[in-house]
Amino acid sequence: NGDDLLRPLESCISDAERFKGAATLELTCTCGAHFTFGGIQESPSYSVTFSGIHCNGCGTELSSLRITSQLERLIRKHISLYYAGWVECDDVSCGVHTRQVSVYGKRCIGNTGRSVGCKGVISYVYTDRELYNQLLYLESLFDVDKARRQELRPLQDDRDDKSSPDSGEMKKGISQSTLDALAEQNRDTFRAFQSVVQKYFEQCGRRYVDMASLFNFS
Amino acid sequence: PKKYQFRTMRQKLLDTADVLDEQIDSMAKTLQKHHKIPESEFGNPCIASQFSVYCCGRIVPDSPSAPVEIRLNPDSLFLETSRLGGIGQRISIDVQFLSEYSFFPGQIVGFKGKNPSGERFIVEQVLDIPYLGAPASNKTELLEYKTNLDGSSMKTTVLSGPYTPSTKIDYSLLESFVEKLNTEIKPHSVIMFGPFLDITHPSIKDGSIESVPEIQGKKITTLDGFFRAVITPILKKIDSRIQVILIPSTRDSISSHAAYPQNSFERKSLQLPKNFKCFPNPSSFQLNECLIGVSNLDSFKDIKDVNRGKIGEKNRFDRIADHILQQRRYYPSFPGALKTRTGSDGTVEHISGADLDMPYMGLSELYDVLPDVLIIPSEMRYFVRVVKNVVVINPGYFLTGNNAGTYVTLSVKPPNPEGDDDDLTCINDDDQLYIHNIWKRARVDIISV
Ligand SMILES: [Zn+2]
Ligand SMILES: [Zn+2]
Repeated sequence: NGDDLLRPLESCISDAERFKGAATLELTCTCGAHFTFGGIQESPSYSVTFSGIHCNGCGTELSSLRITSQLERLIRKHISLYYAGWVECDDVSCGVHTRQVSVYGKRCIGNTGRSVGCKGVISYVYTDRELYNQLLYLESLFDVDKARRQELRPLQDDRDDKSSPDSGEMKKGISQSTLDALAEQNRDTFRAFQSVVQKYFEQCGRRYVDMASLFNFS
Repeated sequence: PKKYQFRTMRQKLLDTADVLDEQIDSMAKTLQKHHKIPESEFGNPCIASQFSVYCCGRIVPDSPSAPVEIRLNPDSLFLETSRLGGIGQRISIDVQFLSEYSFFPGQIVGFKGKNPSGERFIVEQVLDIPYLGAPASNKTELLEYKTNLDGSSMKTTVLSGPYTPSTKIDYSLLESFVEKLNTEIKPHSVIMFGPFLDITHPSIKDGSIESVPEIQGKKITTLDGFFRAVITPILKKIDSRIQVILIPSTRDSISSHAAYPQNSFERKSLQLPKNFKCFPNPSSFQLNECLIGVSNLDSFKDIKDVNRGKIGEKNRFDRIADHILQQRRYYPSFPGALKTRTGSDGTVEHISGADLDMPYMGLSELYDVLPDVLIIPSEMRYFVRVVKNVVVINPGYFLTGNNAGTYVTLSVKPPNPEGDDDDLTCINDDDQLYIHNIWKRARVDIISV
């Protein structure tokens, strides 16, 4: 169970590391252009200005509803994928990948389908931890303070993983003073975007269970 | 309701397994009691034996990779045992000696048969599952309902989303329907099923929902804001004398509870007046004496049975409704349905699904009694059938694609316990308790929008 693995305190991990596997937010503009939105940071496809998010292709500002509807659709797609309940066996020689669940839950039904033979352990493919992390990632995109501190998951990390570890001065793009100004100017709108993610956090069992387990040292 | 206020997105495999196991064992108990089978005659169907035994289990496919979209065939059926009944093992079943059957994945069944070789359980007999009883009311209550209705029939209109065309977000058809509801149809109550704003609608995916003409000029920043600004005003126009019941869909954007069983909408946050009631999905409630069971998950589409004999010649919807009543669950399929899209590069994209929250599936059971009326909206063609004296309704969708669809009006003649017709059946003279016989007193009209 991945939940019980000893791991560094979550706040000590960078967003680049922590959100590596999270699906990115793809936005479609009125002009038909698609781009990956990564928060207030340098991108060839979009710019954040004092008035909001603009498409670099046509210059149009994307309306709030245009952004939140695509954001909420992405969230719901992931919740639905979670509830599809795909499970898999940890024994590589078996490799069962199915939505059927044995009455023992963790027991593998095996390639024979008879629920005998395979000693592997079954677990959900898309865990509640990953779903929670996905929501945290989407919330972080509109975290203006993170943007100011340049702590957002970089946009290019999917494209070239092997790029040299950045050394601070490698970060060109938007100057610190511009970042500070953009963060303040967009604070309220971005908070409204975050409220869409928070709608689901309020529902999310994981957030509450985690709070309780903080005080459980057994 | 409190029991529906559980947190979602926290499904534990062991809790899922507990529910799956319990479904088999509780059916085994029901069958044992009903058929008066001594416990000693129950056996493990997976173990070789020369003698016939009784057993209970779940119909599952013979392969872990069988996709739910595909109908099983008679040679690909396995029976899964419970922990108690056969340490959870699964065995191939041979149904060739049965003249009649209807099986689907997730169904709980009771069999008599034997497994001579240890390889295959040969089914000799399928045990009938007893039906729950019909709901009843006493004379005082019935007379009160009769007086309230003042001699006229109780009239309920039933409709189901989607309420927008599939290519654009446009509620003008719903708006004109509300007008018709107030001035022509004039029912006592309306049952409306979601989705009101379908999260899988293409205009949400590409953000083009912003171009809806009615909202231009107003600043709407979220889909929830859109609901309150566009949909709430239309619903509010429904005459306040009409009681409105809203049942959510797991595809409703306004619901943050995106799993089945699903908690109700919050009336206050939708800014709807007091003639609106929000109920969970699924749920059951009474309109006068009439017990109505509703579920907004498409069992009629998703239950794909493999069948043989007379039962297969029956109307498919009768057969599926009968399964729902026998299984005592609104959505007895497992695993739930899935909707995906395969891209040109072969990648499979998840779109939506039944979104079953397995640990809470107990909330999707029919409890003590059968409903008088069972309503499950389906993508399949609208229908009304009477199955085991239950009026089973699929109202169809308000819009199918870009075309106007259908809705249903249910009229029920007022109960008259003092009359000498057979509209009600007295089951207990001392308590003056009557079975409602809604199927004898109801008239259901399917009407084009
Ligand atoms: Zn553009
Ligand atoms: Zn395995």
